[in-house]
Amino acid sequence: MDFKYVQTTCPYCGTGCSFNLVVRDGKVVGTQPYDRSPVNEGKVCPKGTYAHEFVNSPDRLTKPLIKKDGKFVEATWDEAYDLIAQKFKSYKPDEFAALASARVSNEENYLMMKFARGVMKSRHIDHCARLCHASTVAGLAASFGSGAMTNSILDIAESKCVFVIGSNTFEQHPLIGRKIVQAKKNGAKVIYADPRYTPTARQADLYMPFVSGSDVAILNGLMQEIIKNGWEDREFIEKRTKDFEKLKEVVMKETYSLENVSKISGIPVESLKTAAEWLGTNKPGAILYSMGITQHTVGVDNVRSVANIQMLLGNLGKPGAGVNALRGQNNVQGACDMGALPNVFTAYQKVIDEAAHKKFADAWGFPDGICEPKLGYEVTTMMNVLTDNPGELKCMYIMGENPMLSDPDINHVREALESLDFLVVQDIFMTETGELADVILPAACYAERDGTQTSTERRVQRWRKAQDPPGEAKQDWQIICELAARMGYAEQFPFQSAEEIFEEIRRVTPSYAGMTYERLERPEALHWPCPTVEHPGTPILHREKFSSPDGLGVFAPIEWKPPAEVPDEEYPFVFTTGRILWHWHTGTMTRRSATLDTEVPTGWIEINTEDAKALGIKNGERIRAVTRRGSVEVPAKVTDDIMKGVMFMPFHFHECAANILTNNALDPIAKIPEFKACAVRVEKITEA
Amino acid sequence: MAAKGDMFYAWAADAACQERGECGGAVTALLTHALRSGMVDAVLAVKRGQDIYDAVPTLITDPEDMAETAGSLHCGTLLLSKLLKRYLDGAENMRIGITVKGCDAMGLYELAKRNQVNLDNILMIGVNCGGSVSPVTARKMIREKFGVDPDDVVKEEIDKGQFIIQTKDGQHKGISMDELEDEGYGRRPNCRRCKMKVPRQADLACGNWGVIGDKAGKATFVEVCSEKGANLLDAAAKAGAVVTEPANPKGIEIRGKVENSMLKLGDKWRKRYFEDLGEGKERLQKIMEETGRCIKCYACIENCPICYCVECSTKKSYLVEPGKVPPPFMFHLIRYAHIADSCINCGQCEEHCAMDIPNSLYMHALQVEMEKMFGHTPGVNMELPVLALVEEHAERERLAATGSDQIFDIFK
Repeated sequence: MDFKYVQTTCPYCGTGCSFNLVVRDGKVVGTQPYDRSPVNEGKVCPKGTYAHEFVNSPDRLTKPLIKKDGKFVEATWDEAYDLIAQKFKSYKPDEFAALASARVSNEENYLMMKFARGVMKSRHIDHCARLCHASTVAGLAASFGSGAMTNSILDIAESKCVFVIGSNTFEQHPLIGRKIVQAKKNGAKVIYADPRYTPTARQADLYMPFVSGSDVAILNGLMQEIIKNGWEDREFIEKRTKDFEKLKEVVMKETYSLENVSKISGIPVESLKTAAEWLGTNKPGAILYSMGITQHTVGVDNVRSVANIQMLLGNLGKPGAGVNALRGQNNVQGACDMGALPNVFTAYQKVIDEAAHKKFADAWGFPDGICEPKLGYEVTTMMNVLTDNPGELKCMYIMGENPMLSDPDINHVREALESLDFLVVQDIFMTETGELADVILPAACYAERDGTQTSTERRVQRWRKAQDPPGEAKQDWQIICELAARMGYAEQFPFQSAEEIFEEIRRVTPSYAGMTYERLERPEALHWPCPTVEHPGTPILHREKFSSPDGLGVFAPIEWKPPAEVPDEEYPFVFTTGRILWHWHTGTMTRRSATLDTEVPTGWIEINTEDAKALGIKNGERIRAVTRRGSVEVPAKVTDDIMKGVMFMPFHFHECAANILTNNALDPIAKIPEFKACAVRVEKITEA
Repeated sequence: MAAKGDMFYAWAADAACQERGECGGAVTALLTHALRSGMVDAVLAVKRGQDIYDAVPTLITDPEDMAETAGSLHCGTLLLSKLLKRYLDGAENMRIGITVKGCDAMGLYELAKRNQVNLDNILMIGVNCGGSVSPVTARKMIREKFGVDPDDVVKEEIDKGQFIIQTKDGQHKGISMDELEDEGYGRRPNCRRCKMKVPRQADLACGNWGVIGDKAGKATFVEVCSEKGANLLDAAAKAGAVVTEPANPKGIEIRGKVENSMLKLGDKWRKRYFEDLGEGKERLQKIMEETGRCIKCYACIENCPICYCVECSTKKSYLVEPGKVPPPFMFHLIRYAHIADSCINCGQCEEHCAMDIPNSLYMHALQVEMEKMFGHTPGVNMELPVLALVEEHAERERLAATGSDQIFDIFK
């Protein structure tokens, strides 16, 4: 009997927990704690405990599939590669778009990016970061010169005041929630703002329910109160920032008086006062935020407002402080770092920058050149272009993403993807997106690959292979290499292992240059930037100066704007969406994990008790939720845990898909959809 | 011929094993012999993972691989009993040699009582344990209290009430466990309360207490606790794998003294922890408050050696409403009701709780009360748990005789 532990990192959220996979006779049979992990110390959330349950599911894709006469037919890899190569070759660069994956490794995202730009010469590459922290990447880059979480998870425990806004940390990043608990035990005050009374609210000292979409008003109001009381860090402002006067001019306006902010947000004046006082007088303070801040048409504004308040308070560049953007996916940070974005190469080196473009062209050595140094389309733009300008985009290669459930306005997404001439989907299970594909390529899951992934705190950690993929499924990086070779680019994709790919990544990615697989063997691994092999990595950013060209943080004067679609007579409620503890995103993995699925087998719409009474809706009653985009039938959950006037649906369930209702309104800079606010009405279902 | 109760000093005959192993490498040599001679089909032991703070369980079938399990790891907090049940078929189909701390041994007995492991197929080499330290806590402690970079430490040990580290440059530094533990460092809380220091329910009980004279640090004290253990010791000595000599009587006395002082230390910590909990409603209030952080990660249940039910009551929707965070208090009540009489204070539920709820403290506090009431001590022999002994008719008659319908007057 063969029995061993394989130490690896979790495939679910961006906390970057480690655990052991238990392998018996070559198969993953369970998980066990890895006590040595500095991040989670052997502890995990329920998704982590049961992260083995879907791995050997009978639903796993095991053979390539080609659609013939509307039905999927099993094919050999040769057949699949030949068809794809032939079709791909027939498209011009601008007709092709690729979606990389926030769930596969850095090595694989890098290769997809290289494939799109080098093999297809296309400028259109993106991935689901667009739907989640695109606002962060853009917003913090503008404020600090670097678009990533500034501090480390561990030093949150040293904070004296933790302000959580737009993040239900105890459900979405539970082991980061643990740090909040530790901070509290060390005497920290915890402030929590959310339209819903979530498990995180239970742990807060001050809970501020507010109407989704009033974040800038709240933050500006708090800043006004801080400045009025002289709680700002004048030394920090003077030495480390610029444009403070511009910010002050805006936040001191009557619009952002606490009385007015209270009207806009629904938060009582007293609470706002207390929050400002706690923030102003308990330092260092950390702000934790996530989708509630980013998923708005003013997502970038929201992010920059968070940056503003932390610069105001001097809460940057030291332990216990920071602008802590909690990234959702296990490797969305890595996918961004690897340049799977339409405006940058790896390490955020700009595509339009001639020097950067030349660097990659030279490093890759494609004899016929690479993509043009021009910006490409974001995934949300791709969907719009497909429906609004048919014929422009003809072909897509989607790896490990399921836009048919995760993108806004699903009916629009369907129309967009169905209009494609040729669609290749590479995944571990058949998904709603896969159903629309022309070719399906079966891939390996996290337990079956070696590679690296980067958590939200910029810690690059290892995945280690515990078992072979099922049937004929292959590693994503192998598939990309073999496909590239089939198209004549074997020389540019000569890799025999994930490590070899990482070695190439190091050569072109300054922030990863000092990392090696050997150095990453250590349980602590390494936080980027890590420019040289002697460099110990960087848990906390912006210690002495910011990453902007002059080293200064930039205040941005921002006015509050309401969401693109606000309630009106026809659609009288604010509709917001989000995640829950038990399921992960489009549910491909968690809904095939028996324990997790049994806890929560289907979705619901949360309705405030008073609102439900007025509408005559009972708890558990199946009702119809309708927005301008579409309608879904879904059971009602009548509860006091959500504000009056606001309704919530988790987006994991295809049978009641929240994103049929959501609004494809985009932030103008980040192109991120406003998942967190649109207008809905609900109606009782009356039998015909 | 060794017999139950005999006490020896033992050490590995092979010089390399002596060097690599702890105190002369007897345990490693014994297990290697058991494997080599076919007494067992495999050995479940613990080896060093990425550094001295990382303990990894390993199943060894090739005697040559035994060398990597030599040495002790005080940050090895893992429990082998549940592993054996879950992933090695409870030793149903193979004979397994295993090193056991007190908690490992107790866990195996509780699983055996419930027919989840086959003790006949298990050869237990017990090791004295003064307590283990969680790896990340150990590193923090070394950095902050010892002022040393934890990566510079090559060896750690707990001896004479001190946590002692040895750095790469050969320096030693020790700080008293009392001092460390008063500040929240040191051993896991359950280890502080533990009173199973010499696991005599194993086949052999080994350690370094009581090894005095010129053999100090070079030999292991071995107490024979069963016929199986006696056979192993004899066979290993005969085959030239280990060398033994009768234990020095003065050493035996000293060992007894050390054990007693460790037991007293256990009593002291129990008093401290349990008193802190308060009583009655105050205790219940504390428990309800702390468990209010629960995110139902199931680590407590998955790691508990007493929990093995395929259809766990906590997963029944009519008992515990599913999908709720935090789960209803009934989740924890079910745990207390089902486990408290047999809790062996292994600490796994607390060490792995994602929200740092002191689960082991609550369960252990209940267990000591149950032990007072029913006189049952879990983990030391094959006596069945309390819950197995209730005879319905007798119990109903007893209850009727009290004139009340309350089994216990909880409102007193």
